[in-house]
Amino acid sequence: MAKNSAEWGAKPKFPASHYVDSRIYTDQSVFDDEKEKLFKSSWIIACHESEIEKAYDYRLFTHPTGVPLIIVRGEDMKVRSFYNICPHRGNTILYDPAGNAKRMTCIFHAWSFDARGSCIDISRGEQGYQDRYCKEDAGLREVRAEVGFGGFVWVNLDDAGCTLKEYIGPALDMLEPHMQEPMEVFHFHKAVVDTNYKLWHDTNSEFYHDFVHYFNRITGMMQPGYFDRKYVGYPNGHASVGSMEIKYDAYAGSKKRAVGWPGLAPGGWILIDIFPGMTYNLRTSVLRIDTVVPLGPNKLMVEFRGLGLKSDTPEQRAERIFDHNTIWGPFGRNLHEDLLAVQGQGRAMHEGTDSRWVLHGREENSTIHDEVGMRHFYAEWSRRMGRPSYDPFGEGRPEPARAVA
Amino acid sequence: MDQRQQIEELVYRSCLALDDGNYKGFLEMCDDSFRYTVTTYSPEIRKDMVWLDHDKPGMDTLFTNLPRHNSDHSPLTRHVTVYTSGVAGERAEVVSALQVFRTSLDGGGTGLFAVGRYLDTVKLGAGAPKLLKRVVRMVTRELGAGYHIPF
Repeated sequence: MAKNSAEWGAKPKFPASHYVDSRIYTDQSVFDDEKEKLFKSSWIIACHESEIEKAYDYRLFTHPTGVPLIIVRGEDMKVRSFYNICPHRGNTILYDPAGNAKRMTCIFHAWSFDARGSCIDISRGEQGYQDRYCKEDAGLREVRAEVGFGGFVWVNLDDAGCTLKEYIGPALDMLEPHMQEPMEVFHFHKAVVDTNYKLWHDTNSEFYHDFVHYFNRITGMMQPGYFDRKYVGYPNGHASVGSMEIKYDAYAGSKKRAVGWPGLAPGGWILIDIFPGMTYNLRTSVLRIDTVVPLGPNKLMVEFRGLGLKSDTPEQRAERIFDHNTIWGPFGRNLHEDLLAVQGQGRAMHEGTDSRWVLHGREENSTIHDEVGMRHFYAEWSRRMGRPSYDPFGEGRPEPARAVA
Repeated sequence: MDQRQQIEELVYRSCLALDDGNYKGFLEMCDDSFRYTVTTYSPEIRKDMVWLDHDKPGMDTLFTNLPRHNSDHSPLTRHVTVYTSGVAGERAEVVSALQVFRTSLDGGGTGLFAVGRYLDTVKLGAGAPKLLKRVVRMVTRELGAGYHIPF
Protein backbone atom coordinates (compact mmCIF):
# COMPACT_ATOMS: atom_id res chain seq x y z
CA MET A 1 0.00 0.00 0.00
CA ALA A 2 1.36 3.41 -0.94
CA LYS A 3 2.09 5.89 1.87
CA ASN A 4 1.03 9.45 2.55
CA SER A 5 3.49 12.09 3.75
CA ALA A 6 3.22 11.24 7.47
CA GLU A 7 3.57 7.53 6.83
CA TRP A 8 6.57 8.12 4.56
CA GLY A 9 8.27 10.15 7.29
CA ALA A 10 7.43 7.78 10.15
CA LYS A 11 10.38 5.90 11.59
CA PRO A 12 10.71 2.35 10.28
CA LYS A 13 9.39 -0.60 12.29
CA PHE A 14 12.88 -1.81 13.13
CA PRO A 15 15.22 -1.37 16.05
CA ALA A 16 17.18 1.85 15.68
CA SER A 17 20.33 -0.06 14.74
CA HIS A 18 18.53 -1.35 11.65
CA TYR A 19 17.99 1.89 9.74
CA VAL A 20 19.66 5.25 9.25
CA ASP A 21 18.41 8.76 8.63
CA SER A 22 19.19 9.43 4.97
CA ARG A 23 20.43 12.93 5.83
CA ILE A 24 23.70 11.35 6.96
CA TYR A 25 24.33 10.91 3.24
CA THR A 26 23.37 14.40 2.17
CA ASP A 27 23.95 16.97 4.89
CA GLN A 28 26.95 19.28 4.55
CA SER A 29 27.45 19.64 8.31
CA VAL A 30 27.53 15.85 8.75
CA PHE A 31 30.02 15.63 5.91
CA ASP A 32 32.28 18.27 7.46
CA ASP A 33 32.04 16.47 10.79
CA GLU A 34 33.04 13.17 9.18
CA LYS A 35 36.24 14.65 7.80
CA GLU A 36 37.23 15.84 11.26
CA LYS A 37 36.02 12.93 13.38
CA LEU A 38 36.48 9.95 11.06
CA PHE A 39 38.97 10.55 8.30
CA LYS A 40 41.45 12.78 10.08
CA SER A 41 42.27 10.11 12.66
CA SER A 42 41.84 6.95 10.56
CA TRP A 43 44.56 5.04 8.76
CA ILE A 44 43.96 5.44 5.03
CA ILE A 45 45.54 3.60 2.09
CA ALA A 46 47.44 6.16 0.01
CA CYS A 47 49.16 3.84 -2.48
CA HIS A 48 51.03 0.55 -2.77
CA GLU A 49 54.75 0.08 -2.22
CA SER A 50 55.14 -1.14 -5.81
CA GLU A 51 54.22 2.37 -6.98
CA ILE A 52 57.30 3.83 -5.26
CA GLU A 53 59.89 1.08 -5.66
CA LYS A 54 63.09 3.08 -6.01
CA ALA A 55 64.71 5.68 -3.77
CA TYR A 56 63.16 9.12 -4.37
CA ASP A 57 60.10 7.65 -6.11
CA TYR A 58 57.06 9.60 -5.04
CA ARG A 59 53.31 9.40 -5.40
CA LEU A 60 50.69 12.07 -4.73
CA PHE A 61 47.50 11.34 -2.84
CA THR A 62 44.56 13.55 -2.01
CA HIS A 63 43.61 12.56 1.52
CA PRO A 64 39.86 12.18 2.16
CA THR A 65 40.01 15.31 4.34
CA GLY A 66 41.22 17.21 1.29
CA VAL A 67 44.85 17.48 2.41
CA PRO A 68 47.26 16.99 -0.54
CA LEU A 69 49.97 14.52 0.37
CA ILE A 70 53.30 13.40 -1.04
CA ILE A 71 54.31 9.80 -0.40
CA VAL A 72 58.05 9.45 -1.01
CA ARG A 73 60.67 6.77 -0.54
CA GLY A 74 63.87 8.14 0.95
CA GLU A 75 67.44 7.24 0.13
CA ASP A 76 67.22 4.98 3.20
CA MET A 77 64.24 3.24 1.45
CA LYS A 78 61.89 4.35 4.22
CA VAL A 79 58.51 5.58 3.07
CA ARG A 80 57.43 8.95 4.45
CA SER A 81 54.54 11.28 3.82
CA PHE A 82 54.32 15.07 3.84
CA TYR A 83 51.81 17.76 3.01
CA ASN A 84 52.25 18.75 -0.62
CA ILE A 85 52.15 22.36 0.52
CA CYS A 86 55.14 24.68 0.43
CA PRO A 87 55.64 26.32 3.83
CA HIS A 88 56.57 29.57 2.07
CA ARG A 89 53.51 30.75 0.13
CA GLY A 90 51.31 27.68 0.33
CA ASN A 91 51.91 26.53 -3.21
CA THR A 92 51.75 22.98 -4.50
CA ILE A 93 55.25 21.51 -4.50
CA LEU A 94 54.85 18.48 -6.78
CA TYR A 95 52.37 18.50 -9.63
CA ASP A 96 52.73 15.19 -11.49
CA PRO A 97 50.87 12.34 -9.75
CA ALA A 98 54.03 10.19 -9.60
CA GLY A 99 57.68 10.47 -10.39
CA ASN A 100 61.19 10.46 -8.99
CA ALA A 101 62.51 13.56 -7.28
CA LYS A 102 65.77 13.68 -5.36
CA ARG A 103 64.96 17.29 -4.61
CA MET A 104 61.37 18.38 -4.39
CA THR A 105 61.45 21.95 -5.61
CA CYS A 106 58.53 24.34 -5.51
CA ILE A 107 58.22 25.93 -8.95
CA PHE A 108 57.02 29.23 -7.47
CA HIS A 109 60.16 30.47 -5.67
CA ALA A 110 62.46 27.40 -5.95
CA TRP A 111 62.49 26.37 -2.31
CA SER A 112 63.75 22.77 -2.22
CA PHE A 113 63.08 19.87 0.11
CA ASP A 114 64.59 16.41 0.50
CA ALA A 115 62.81 13.06 0.96
CA ARG A 116 62.98 13.46 4.74
CA GLY A 117 60.94 16.67 4.58
CA SER A 118 63.85 18.97 5.37
CA CYS A 119 64.22 22.21 3.50
CA ILE A 120 67.59 22.08 1.72
CA ASP A 121 67.50 25.38 -0.08
CA ILE A 122 65.79 28.74 0.23
CA SER A 123 66.64 30.70 -2.86
CA ARG A 124 68.36 33.97 -1.89
CA GLY A 125 67.53 33.09 1.70
CA GLU A 126 70.15 35.16 3.48
CA GLN A 127 69.46 38.24 1.37
CA GLY A 128 65.78 38.19 2.19
CA TYR A 129 65.55 36.72 5.66
CA GLN A 130 69.01 37.61 7.05
CA ASP A 131 69.19 35.63 10.33
CA ARG A 132 65.44 35.81 11.03
CA TYR A 133 64.40 32.64 9.15
CA CYS A 134 66.44 29.78 7.73
CA LYS A 135 66.16 26.30 6.17
CA GLU A 136 65.70 24.71 9.58
CA ASP A 137 62.52 26.73 10.05
CA ALA A 138 61.03 25.58 6.76
CA GLY A 139 60.48 21.82 7.07
CA LEU A 140 57.48 20.12 5.49
CA ARG A 141 54.60 18.93 7.65
CA GLU A 142 55.20 15.19 8.08
CA VAL A 143 52.28 12.79 8.32
CA ARG A 144 52.49 9.37 9.91
CA ALA A 145 53.02 6.69 7.27
CA GLU A 146 53.36 2.93 7.61
CA VAL A 147 53.71 0.13 5.09
CA GLY A 148 51.79 -3.01 5.84
CA PHE A 149 48.96 -5.45 5.23
CA GLY A 150 49.96 -6.44 1.72
CA GLY A 151 52.56 -3.72 1.19
CA PHE A 152 50.11 -0.84 1.17
CA VAL A 153 51.21 2.61 2.28
CA TRP A 154 48.87 3.86 4.96
CA VAL A 155 48.77 7.43 6.23
CA ASN A 156 47.24 9.02 9.30
CA LEU A 157 46.92 12.79 9.81
CA ASP A 158 46.58 12.41 13.57
CA ASP A 159 50.02 12.58 15.21
CA ALA A 160 48.76 11.04 18.42
CA GLY A 161 46.44 8.24 17.32
CA CYS A 162 46.86 4.49 17.49
CA THR A 163 49.31 2.49 15.37
CA LEU A 164 48.25 0.92 12.09
CA LYS A 165 48.45 -2.52 13.69
CA GLU A 166 46.16 -1.44 16.51
CA TYR A 167 43.76 0.17 14.03
CA ILE A 168 43.42 -2.91 11.83
CA GLY A 169 43.41 -5.41 14.71
CA PRO A 170 42.38 -8.89 13.54
CA ALA A 171 40.32 -7.62 10.60
CA LEU A 172 42.77 -8.70 7.90
CA ASP A 173 43.81 -11.99 9.51
CA MET A 174 41.77 -13.94 6.95
CA LEU A 175 43.78 -12.36 4.12
CA GLU A 176 47.22 -12.34 5.68
CA PRO A 177 48.15 -15.87 4.48
CA HIS A 178 47.33 -14.75 0.94
CA MET A 179 49.44 -11.59 1.07
CA GLN A 180 52.83 -13.06 1.87
CA GLU A 181 54.24 -12.80 -1.64
CA PRO A 182 55.22 -9.37 -2.97
CA MET A 183 52.44 -7.85 -5.04
CA GLU A 184 52.35 -5.26 -7.79
CA VAL A 185 49.71 -2.80 -8.97
CA PHE A 186 48.80 -3.37 -12.62
CA HIS A 187 45.60 -1.37 -12.73
CA PHE A 188 44.66 2.06 -11.43
CA HIS A 189 41.74 4.26 -12.24
CA LYS A 190 39.60 6.83 -10.52
CA ALA A 191 35.85 7.10 -10.82
CA VAL A 192 33.99 10.26 -9.86
CA VAL A 193 30.29 9.75 -9.26
CA ASP A 194 27.45 11.73 -7.70
CA THR A 195 26.88 9.86 -4.47
CA ASN A 196 27.96 9.75 -0.84
CA TYR A 197 31.08 7.79 0.07
CA LYS A 198 29.20 5.70 2.63
CA LEU A 199 26.84 4.44 -0.04
CA TRP A 200 29.83 3.03 -1.90
CA HIS A 201 31.19 1.44 1.27
CA ASP A 202 27.68 0.12 2.05
CA THR A 203 27.67 -1.59 -1.33
CA ASN A 204 30.93 -3.26 -0.42
CA SER A 205 29.43 -4.22 2.95
CA GLU A 206 26.38 -6.14 1.75
CA PHE A 207 25.90 -8.79 -0.89
CA TYR A 208 22.12 -8.60 -1.06
CA HIS A 209 22.81 -6.25 -3.97
CA ASP A 210 24.12 -9.22 -5.98
CA PHE A 211 20.68 -8.96 -7.59
CA VAL A 212 22.09 -6.04 -9.62
CA HIS A 213 24.85 -8.28 -11.03
CA TYR A 214 23.90 -10.88 -13.60
CA PHE A 215 27.47 -12.16 -13.37
CA ASN A 216 27.27 -12.73 -9.59
CA ARG A 217 23.81 -14.25 -9.75
CA ILE A 218 24.88 -16.81 -12.30
CA THR A 219 28.37 -17.56 -10.99
CA GLY A 220 27.68 -17.11 -7.27
CA MET A 221 24.12 -16.88 -6.01
CA MET A 222 22.98 -19.92 -7.96
CA GLN A 223 25.92 -22.02 -6.75
CA PRO A 224 26.25 -24.17 -3.62
CA GLY A 225 27.91 -22.44 -0.67
CA TYR A 226 26.83 -18.94 -1.62
CA PHE A 227 24.34 -18.58 1.23
CA ASP A 228 26.85 -20.01 3.73
CA ARG A 229 29.19 -17.01 3.50
CA LYS A 230 29.22 -15.21 6.82
CA TYR A 231 29.93 -11.67 7.93
CA VAL A 232 32.28 -11.10 10.82
CA GLY A 233 32.55 -7.71 12.48
CA TYR A 234 35.83 -6.51 14.02
CA PRO A 235 36.75 -3.63 16.32
CA ASN A 236 36.96 -0.15 14.76
CA GLY A 237 34.14 -0.82 12.30
CA HIS A 238 35.91 -3.28 9.98
CA ALA A 239 34.08 -6.36 8.64
CA SER A 240 34.74 -9.39 6.47
CA VAL A 241 32.82 -11.84 4.34
CA GLY A 242 34.04 -15.40 4.17
CA SER A 243 35.13 -17.24 1.06
CA MET A 244 33.21 -19.26 -1.48
CA GLU A 245 33.98 -20.79 -4.84
CA ILE A 246 32.87 -18.81 -7.87
CA LYS A 247 31.73 -20.91 -10.85
CA TYR A 248 33.12 -18.77 -13.63
CA ASP A 249 32.19 -21.23 -16.32
CA ALA A 250 28.50 -20.61 -15.53
CA TYR A 251 28.80 -17.23 -17.32
CA ALA A 252 28.55 -17.54 -21.10
CA GLY A 253 31.90 -16.90 -22.71
CA SER A 254 33.75 -17.39 -19.43
CA LYS A 255 35.71 -20.41 -18.31
CA LYS A 256 37.33 -21.94 -15.26
CA ARG A 257 40.28 -19.78 -14.28
CA ALA A 258 43.79 -21.22 -14.28
CA VAL A 259 46.08 -18.78 -12.48
CA GLY A 260 44.53 -18.53 -9.03
CA TRP A 261 46.12 -16.92 -5.98
CA PRO A 262 48.52 -18.31 -3.35
CA GLY A 263 46.62 -20.27 -0.75
CA LEU A 264 43.21 -19.35 -2.11
CA ALA A 265 40.92 -22.15 -3.20
CA PRO A 266 40.26 -22.11 -6.97
CA GLY A 267 37.57 -19.55 -7.68
CA GLY A 268 37.81 -18.33 -4.07
CA TRP A 269 36.60 -14.94 -2.91
CA ILE A 270 37.36 -13.00 0.29
CA LEU A 271 36.19 -9.46 0.93
CA ILE A 272 37.21 -7.27 3.87
CA ASP A 273 35.97 -3.75 4.51
CA ILE A 274 38.19 -1.36 6.43
CA PHE A 275 36.51 1.57 8.16
CA PRO A 276 35.73 4.21 6.99
CA GLY A 277 36.08 3.53 3.26
CA MET A 278 38.56 0.96 2.03
CA THR A 279 37.97 -2.55 0.74
CA TYR A 280 40.23 -5.53 0.13
CA ASN A 281 38.56 -7.73 -2.46
CA LEU A 282 40.47 -10.89 -3.35
CA ARG A 283 38.71 -12.86 -6.03
CA THR A 284 40.23 -15.81 -7.89
CA SER A 285 43.37 -14.22 -9.33
CA VAL A 286 43.23 -10.54 -8.49
CA LEU A 287 43.31 -8.38 -5.40
CA ARG A 288 41.22 -5.26 -5.87
CA ILE A 289 41.56 -2.35 -3.47
CA ASP A 290 39.03 0.48 -3.22
CA THR A 291 39.87 3.72 -1.46
CA VAL A 292 37.15 6.34 -1.14
CA VAL A 293 38.01 10.01 -1.39
CA PRO A 294 34.82 11.94 -0.59
CA LEU A 295 34.56 15.21 -2.52
CA GLY A 296 31.28 16.40 -1.02
CA PRO A 297 28.13 15.00 0.57
CA ASN A 298 26.97 13.85 -2.85
CA LYS A 299 30.24 13.65 -4.76
CA LEU A 300 32.68 10.78 -4.50
CA MET A 301 35.95 9.77 -6.03
CA VAL A 302 36.97 6.14 -5.68
CA GLU A 303 40.50 5.00 -6.41
CA PHE A 304 40.54 1.47 -7.80
CA ARG A 305 43.63 -0.68 -7.85
CA GLY A 306 44.15 -4.15 -9.29
CA LEU A 307 47.11 -6.18 -8.06
CA GLY A 308 48.85 -9.34 -9.13
CA LEU A 309 52.01 -11.02 -7.91
CA LYS A 310 55.37 -9.45 -8.59
CA SER A 311 56.60 -12.89 -9.67
CA ASP A 312 53.99 -13.21 -12.44
CA THR A 313 55.04 -14.45 -15.83
CA PRO A 314 53.65 -12.38 -18.73
CA GLU A 315 51.06 -15.11 -19.32
CA GLN A 316 49.96 -15.17 -15.69
CA ARG A 317 49.75 -11.38 -15.60
CA ALA A 318 47.70 -11.34 -18.79
CA GLU A 319 45.18 -13.74 -17.25
CA ARG A 320 44.92 -11.66 -14.08
CA ILE A 321 44.33 -8.55 -16.17
CA PHE A 322 41.67 -10.35 -18.17
CA ASP A 323 39.97 -11.56 -14.98
CA HIS A 324 40.12 -8.08 -13.50
CA ASN A 325 38.74 -6.37 -16.56
CA THR A 326 35.89 -8.81 -17.06
CA ILE A 327 34.15 -7.66 -13.91
CA TRP A 328 36.10 -4.79 -12.36
CA GLY A 329 37.57 -2.65 -15.13
CA PRO A 330 35.92 0.59 -16.31
CA PHE A 331 34.23 -1.55 -19.00
CA GLY A 332 33.74 -4.48 -16.62
CA ARG A 333 30.39 -6.14 -16.02
CA ASN A 334 30.12 -5.56 -12.26
CA LEU A 335 31.87 -2.30 -11.51
CA HIS A 336 29.64 -0.34 -13.88
CA GLU A 337 26.56 -1.87 -12.25
CA ASP A 338 27.77 -1.03 -8.74
CA LEU A 339 28.61 2.54 -9.69
CA LEU A 340 25.28 2.97 -11.48
CA ALA A 341 23.49 1.72 -8.38
CA VAL A 342 25.18 4.09 -5.92
CA GLN A 343 24.77 6.95 -8.37
CA GLY A 344 21.08 6.12 -8.45
CA GLN A 345 21.03 6.34 -4.65
CA GLY A 346 22.73 9.73 -4.88
CA ARG A 347 20.13 10.90 -7.37
CA ALA A 348 17.20 9.72 -5.27
CA MET A 349 18.62 10.83 -1.95
CA HIS A 350 20.28 14.20 -2.45
CA GLU A 351 19.06 17.16 -0.44
CA GLY A 352 15.49 18.14 -1.26
CA THR A 353 14.27 14.79 -2.55
CA ASP A 354 12.39 13.96 0.69
CA SER A 355 14.21 10.70 1.05
CA ARG A 356 13.94 9.89 4.75
CA TRP A 357 15.20 6.48 5.82
CA VAL A 358 17.55 3.80 4.58
CA LEU A 359 16.89 0.30 5.86
CA HIS A 360 19.58 -2.07 7.09
CA GLY A 361 17.07 -4.50 8.55
CA ARG A 362 17.82 -7.90 7.00
CA GLU A 363 18.69 -10.61 9.50
CA GLU A 364 19.80 -13.98 8.15
CA ASN A 365 22.12 -15.31 10.84
CA SER A 366 24.92 -13.02 9.57
CA THR A 367 25.01 -14.85 6.23
CA ILE A 368 25.52 -13.31 2.84
CA HIS A 369 22.21 -11.40 2.49
CA ASP A 370 22.15 -10.25 6.12
CA GLU A 371 22.74 -6.50 6.45
CA VAL A 372 24.82 -6.85 9.59
CA GLY A 373 27.92 -5.56 7.79
CA MET A 374 26.32 -2.14 7.39
CA ARG A 375 24.92 -2.20 10.92
CA HIS A 376 28.40 -2.88 12.21
CA PHE A 377 29.76 0.08 10.23
CA TYR A 378 27.08 2.48 11.50
CA ALA A 379 27.55 1.43 15.11
CA GLU A 380 31.18 2.57 14.81
CA TRP A 381 30.20 5.62 12.75
CA SER A 382 27.72 6.70 15.46
CA ARG A 383 30.26 6.15 18.21
CA ARG A 384 32.97 8.19 16.57
CA MET A 385 30.68 10.91 15.29
CA GLY A 386 28.97 11.31 18.65
CA ARG A 387 25.59 11.23 16.96
CA PRO A 388 23.43 8.23 16.13
CA SER A 389 23.06 7.45 12.46
CA TYR A 390 19.31 6.93 12.98
CA ASP A 391 18.91 10.38 14.57
CA PRO A 392 21.91 12.52 13.55
CA PHE A 393 20.38 15.84 14.62
CA GLY A 394 18.95 14.74 17.96
CA GLU A 395 15.36 15.35 16.93
CA GLY A 396 13.88 12.38 18.69
CA ARG A 397 15.13 9.21 20.27
CA PRO A 398 13.75 5.98 18.96
CA GLU A 399 14.03 2.96 21.19
CA PRO A 400 17.60 1.96 22.13
CA ALA A 401 19.54 0.06 19.52
CA ARG A 402 19.90 -3.66 19.92
CA ALA A 403 23.35 -5.00 20.26
CA VAL A 404 24.83 -5.53 16.81
CA ALA A 405 25.62 -9.14 16.01
CA MET B 1 36.51 3.88 -54.78
CA ASP B 2 40.26 4.03 -54.19
CA GLN B 3 41.99 2.09 -51.44
CA ARG B 4 42.36 5.04 -49.05
CA GLN B 5 38.67 5.77 -49.43
CA GLN B 6 37.79 2.12 -48.76
CA ILE B 7 39.87 2.10 -45.60
CA GLU B 8 38.38 5.33 -44.32
CA GLU B 9 34.87 4.12 -45.06
CA LEU B 10 35.49 0.92 -43.11
CA VAL B 11 36.57 2.91 -40.05
CA TYR B 12 33.63 5.27 -40.34
CA ARG B 13 31.10 2.49 -40.96
CA SER B 14 32.39 0.63 -37.92
CA CYS B 15 31.57 3.69 -35.82
CA LEU B 16 28.12 4.04 -37.33
CA ALA B 17 27.40 0.39 -36.55
CA LEU B 18 28.50 0.75 -32.92
CA ASP B 19 26.60 4.05 -32.54
CA ASP B 20 23.48 2.32 -33.82
CA GLY B 21 23.91 -0.73 -31.59
CA ASN B 22 24.30 -2.81 -34.73
CA TYR B 23 26.80 -5.20 -33.19
CA LYS B 24 26.20 -7.92 -35.75
CA GLY B 25 26.97 -5.38 -38.45
CA PHE B 26 30.13 -4.33 -36.63
CA LEU B 27 31.36 -7.88 -36.29
CA GLU B 28 30.72 -8.48 -39.99
CA MET B 29 33.32 -5.81 -40.69
CA CYS B 30 35.85 -7.75 -38.62
CA ASP B 31 38.09 -10.57 -39.82
CA ASP B 32 37.77 -13.91 -38.02
CA SER B 33 41.12 -13.24 -36.34
CA PHE B 34 39.92 -9.82 -35.12
CA ARG B 35 41.26 -8.60 -31.78
CA TYR B 36 39.86 -5.62 -29.89
CA THR B 37 41.85 -3.99 -27.10
CA VAL B 38 41.39 -0.90 -24.98
CA THR B 39 44.65 0.44 -23.58
CA THR B 40 45.82 3.53 -21.79
CA TYR B 41 48.80 4.86 -19.89
CA SER B 42 48.50 5.68 -16.21
CA PRO B 43 50.76 8.53 -15.09
CA GLU B 44 49.75 7.57 -11.53
CA ILE B 45 51.32 4.10 -11.58
CA ARG B 46 53.55 4.92 -14.56
CA LYS B 47 52.43 1.87 -16.47
CA ASP B 48 50.57 0.95 -19.61
CA MET B 49 47.28 -0.69 -18.80
CA VAL B 50 44.92 -2.94 -20.72
CA TRP B 51 41.30 -2.23 -19.90
CA LEU B 52 39.66 -4.69 -22.28
CA ASP B 53 40.98 -7.40 -24.57
CA HIS B 54 38.80 -9.71 -26.64
CA ASP B 55 38.96 -11.79 -29.77
CA LYS B 56 36.01 -11.91 -32.13
CA PRO B 57 34.08 -14.61 -30.23
CA GLY B 58 34.77 -12.67 -27.02
CA MET B 59 33.31 -9.53 -28.54
CA ASP B 60 30.31 -11.49 -29.75
CA THR B 61 29.73 -12.81 -26.20
CA LEU B 62 30.15 -9.34 -24.76
CA PHE B 63 27.47 -8.00 -27.08
CA THR B 64 25.18 -11.00 -26.55
CA ASN B 65 25.35 -10.65 -22.79
CA LEU B 66 24.57 -6.93 -22.79
CA PRO B 67 20.79 -7.29 -22.30
CA ARG B 68 21.39 -9.47 -19.23
CA HIS B 69 23.24 -6.68 -17.44
CA ASN B 70 22.16 -3.41 -15.88
CA SER B 71 23.75 -0.71 -17.99
CA ASP B 72 23.76 3.00 -18.62
CA HIS B 73 21.55 3.29 -21.70
CA SER B 74 22.67 6.78 -22.66
CA PRO B 75 23.61 6.53 -26.33
CA LEU B 76 27.16 7.17 -27.47
CA THR B 77 28.18 9.05 -30.59
CA ARG B 78 31.65 8.37 -31.93
CA HIS B 79 33.34 11.10 -33.91
CA VAL B 80 36.34 9.85 -35.79
CA THR B 81 38.78 11.44 -38.19
CA VAL B 82 41.23 9.22 -40.02
CA TYR B 83 44.61 10.87 -39.69
CA THR B 84 47.00 8.48 -41.36
CA SER B 85 46.79 5.29 -43.36
CA GLY B 86 49.93 3.34 -44.21
CA VAL B 87 49.56 0.44 -46.59
CA ALA B 88 52.10 -2.39 -46.59
CA GLY B 89 51.21 -5.33 -48.81
CA GLU B 90 47.76 -6.57 -47.89
CA ARG B 91 47.56 -4.65 -44.64
CA ALA B 92 47.01 -1.05 -43.66
CA GLU B 93 47.85 0.58 -40.37
CA VAL B 94 45.33 3.32 -39.71
CA VAL B 95 45.49 5.99 -37.04
CA SER B 96 42.32 7.92 -36.28
CA ALA B 97 41.37 10.54 -33.73
CA LEU B 98 38.44 9.46 -31.58
CA GLN B 99 35.97 11.50 -29.61
CA VAL B 100 33.08 9.85 -27.82
CA PHE B 101 30.05 11.87 -26.79
CA ARG B 102 27.34 10.68 -24.45
CA THR B 103 23.77 11.96 -24.62
CA SER B 104 21.48 11.68 -21.62
CA LEU B 105 18.17 9.96 -22.17
CA ASP B 106 16.36 12.44 -19.93
CA GLY B 107 16.63 15.84 -21.58
CA GLY B 108 19.13 14.91 -24.25
CA GLY B 109 22.10 16.87 -23.01
CA THR B 110 25.32 15.83 -24.72
CA GLY B 111 28.73 15.87 -23.12
CA LEU B 112 32.18 14.74 -24.14
CA PHE B 113 32.76 11.31 -22.59
CA ALA B 114 36.21 10.34 -23.80
CA VAL B 115 38.96 11.10 -26.25
CA GLY B 116 41.64 8.87 -27.66
CA ARG B 117 42.72 7.19 -30.86
CA TYR B 118 41.82 4.18 -32.92
CA LEU B 119 44.91 2.26 -33.97
CA ASP B 120 43.42 -0.07 -36.57
CA THR B 121 44.98 -2.82 -38.63
CA VAL B 122 42.98 -3.40 -41.79
CA LYS B 123 43.13 -6.48 -43.98
CA LEU B 124 43.12 -5.63 -47.67
CA GLY B 125 43.01 -7.83 -50.72
CA ALA B 126 40.13 -9.33 -52.60
CA GLY B 127 36.73 -8.20 -51.43
CA ALA B 128 35.89 -5.54 -48.88
CA PRO B 129 38.58 -4.56 -46.35
CA LYS B 130 38.14 -5.99 -42.87
CA LEU B 131 39.29 -5.00 -39.43
CA LEU B 132 42.04 -7.30 -38.20
CA LYS B 133 42.80 -5.40 -35.04
CA ARG B 134 41.49 -2.37 -33.22
CA VAL B 135 43.38 -0.83 -30.34
CA VAL B 136 41.43 1.94 -28.66
CA ARG B 137 44.17 4.03 -27.13
CA MET B 138 42.40 6.04 -24.46
CA VAL B 139 43.58 9.44 -23.36
CA THR B 140 40.60 9.89 -21.05
CA ARG B 141 40.79 7.65 -18.01
CA GLU B 142 38.08 9.02 -15.76
CA LEU B 143 34.83 7.58 -17.05
CA GLY B 144 32.55 8.12 -14.08
CA ALA B 145 30.46 5.00 -13.66
CA GLY B 146 32.09 3.46 -16.73
CA TYR B 147 30.24 1.87 -19.63
CA HIS B 148 29.39 -1.62 -20.81
CA ILE B 149 29.72 -1.06 -24.55
CA PRO B 150 33.22 -0.73 -25.95
CA PHE B 151 34.23 2.41 -27.81
